[in-house]
Amino acid sequence: MENIVQVENLKKEYSNTAVLKGINLTVNKGEVFGFVGHNGAGKSTLIHILTGIVNKTSGSFTIFDTPDNELNTVKRKMGVMPDITNLYHHMKGYNFLKYMGELTEDKRSKAGYTELLKKVGLEGAEDQKIKSYSFGMKKKISIAQALLGDPELIILDEPTSGLDPESAIYIRNLISELQKSGKTIFLTSHNLDEIERISDRVGILSNGVIKKFGTPEELKKVEEGSNIGFSVRTIPLLTTEKIEELRALYQLNIIFGEGRQTSSRLIVKSEEDIPKITKAIVDSGLSLYEVKIDEKSLEDVFMNA
Amino acid sequence: MVHVLKREFIESFRSVRSALIILFLTLVAYYSSRFFQNNQVLINQFLSGENTVSIEDVYATAISFIIMAFGSLFVFSISHDIVNSETESRTIRLLVTKISRGQILLGKLLGVILFWWAVITISYIVIFAISGSWSINFYTQTLVLLFYFISFTMLISTIISKTKLSMFFGIMLGIALPVLNVAAIEIDKWYLIPAKYLLPFYYNDQLAMSFVPLIIGTAFFILSVFIIKRRDL
Repeated sequence: MENIVQVENLKKEYSNTAVLKGINLTVNKGEVFGFVGHNGAGKSTLIHILTGIVNKTSGSFTIFDTPDNELNTVKRKMGVMPDITNLYHHMKGYNFLKYMGELTEDKRSKAGYTELLKKVGLEGAEDQKIKSYSFGMKKKISIAQALLGDPELIILDEPTSGLDPESAIYIRNLISELQKSGKTIFLTSHNLDEIERISDRVGILSNGVIKKFGTPEELKKVEEGSNIGFSVRTIPLLTTEKIEELRALYQLNIIFGEGRQTSSRLIVKSEEDIPKITKAIVDSGLSLYEVKIDEKSLEDVFMNA
Repeated sequence: MVHVLKREFIESFRSVRSALIILFLTLVAYYSSRFFQNNQVLINQFLSGENTVSIEDVYATAISFIIMAFGSLFVFSISHDIVNSETESRTIRLLVTKISRGQILLGKLLGVILFWWAVITISYIVIFAISGSWSINFYTQTLVLLFYFISFTMLISTIISKTKLSMFFGIMLGIALPVLNVAAIEIDKWYLIPAKYLLPFYYNDQLAMSFVPLIIGTAFFILSVFIIKRRDL
C-alpha cells in the first residue's frame, strides 16, 4: 500500500518542554486516518509540523515521498483546514476563497466558487463578510478553502468540533464523499464516536507519544490479560449470595459478582470462564434469559491509553 | 507570490492613507519648491556649495528632500505591520499551508515597494505637470531610498511580532534614523562609523555608490526570510 504520509521519530520541544516525544506513523493512500488525543496531547502540533506552520525539533517525515525539507514542493497537493481563527475575517466569503484559490493555482470561475460553497453547505454566503459568519459557517469555509486546487491529501483539524449535530453529519458525509473520490484524509477530532465511524485507522496520542495505532476494530479488541465484564438476566434473580455460592460450589474464576435489581453484574479473567458460569447458573435451577458481554468502545481504549 | 504582491498592493491603495500621502507629498513638494525657487541661494547653501541644484530640478529636490527627512517615518509608521499583522492575526498560518515563507515575504515586499513607488511616481507626475521638469537622478535616488526603508521596515516587522510595538518602535526609528544618519556623516566619531555606512544617505551624492542601499536593503530582506523560516508561526 502506498504511503502518503510517513513520520519517523518526530520530536518537538518548546522551551525544553517536550510536546512530541518521537512520533512514528503512516497514512495510506485513500484512507481516512483519525488522530485523537487529550487536549494538549500534541495533535495540532503534529498537524502544524506536517503543514509547515511549526518547525520540528528532530526526526523526519515525508509527504508524497518528498522529504520534509522540500515540503514546499508538495503543498499544491495538500489541502489544510487550520483553526478558524486563522481566517481573513474582514474578507467576504467569495473574495477569501478566490484569494486562497489563486495561491493554489485553482483556476475555477466565480460559478465554480459558488458551487464549492454549496458543496460545503454555505450556499448564498459568498457576499457576506467572514466575521459575520456563525461558528459553523467559519468551519465550513475553512474546509472549503482546503478543497481548493483539488488536493490529494486533505488535513482537517477538528472539522466538526462545536458544530450542531446537523452540520456535523453534513461534514462527516462530505468527508466520506471525499474519500470515495480517492482523497486521503488525515483528521483530528475529540469526537471518538465520529472517529470510530469514519476512520479506517486511528492513532491515539497521549503525552506526546502514540499509545495505540490500528483500525478501530483492532483497538477495541479485548487485550490478552484484561478482564471481561458481562451481565446476566435470570429468573429468579442471581443474587450476590447466590454468586458466592456458585463460585465456591463450581470453583469459578469470578473476580467480581453482584446481584442488581434486574440483572447481575460479573467480571471474569478470560472468555473461557463465561460458558462455565452460564452452565453453573442453569445447573443451579435458575432460568437464564440473557448474557450480555460488555463491548469495548474506542472511548475505553482512549481512556486507558 | 504574485497573488500576495497583488493583494498587498491593492489593499495598500484601497485605504485613505495612500490618497493622503500623495496629497501631502505633492503639496509639500510644490510649496517648498516654490519657496526654494524664490530662495535658491538658501537651498544651495544648505547643499554646501558643490552640489548645487538647477532651477529645473528644484521641485524634484524638494520631494527627494522630503523622502530623506520623513520617508523613513512615513514608511515605518504606515507599513510597520507588513509581516506581523499576518503573524499576529495568525492568517500567516493559512498562507504557509499554500506557499513558502520566502514567497510570502517576497510578495509582501514587492507589493509594498510597488505601492510606495507608485505614490512617489504620482507625486512626480503632478509636479511634472506643474513645473515641466523631471529629474531622473532624484527620482531614482528616491526609489532606492524607499526600497531601503521598506526592507528595513520588513526586518523590524519580522523581528517584532506585535503590531503595536512595531508601530511605536517604527515611529521612534523613523524620527531617529535621519538624524542619526546626518550626524554619522557630519561627525567624525568611531562609534558613528557603522551608522555612516549602513544608513543610506552617505551614498546619495556618489553616483557610483548609489546601488549600495539596494544591496543593504536586499540583505535586510534575506535576514527577514532567515528569521521567519526559523520561527514557529
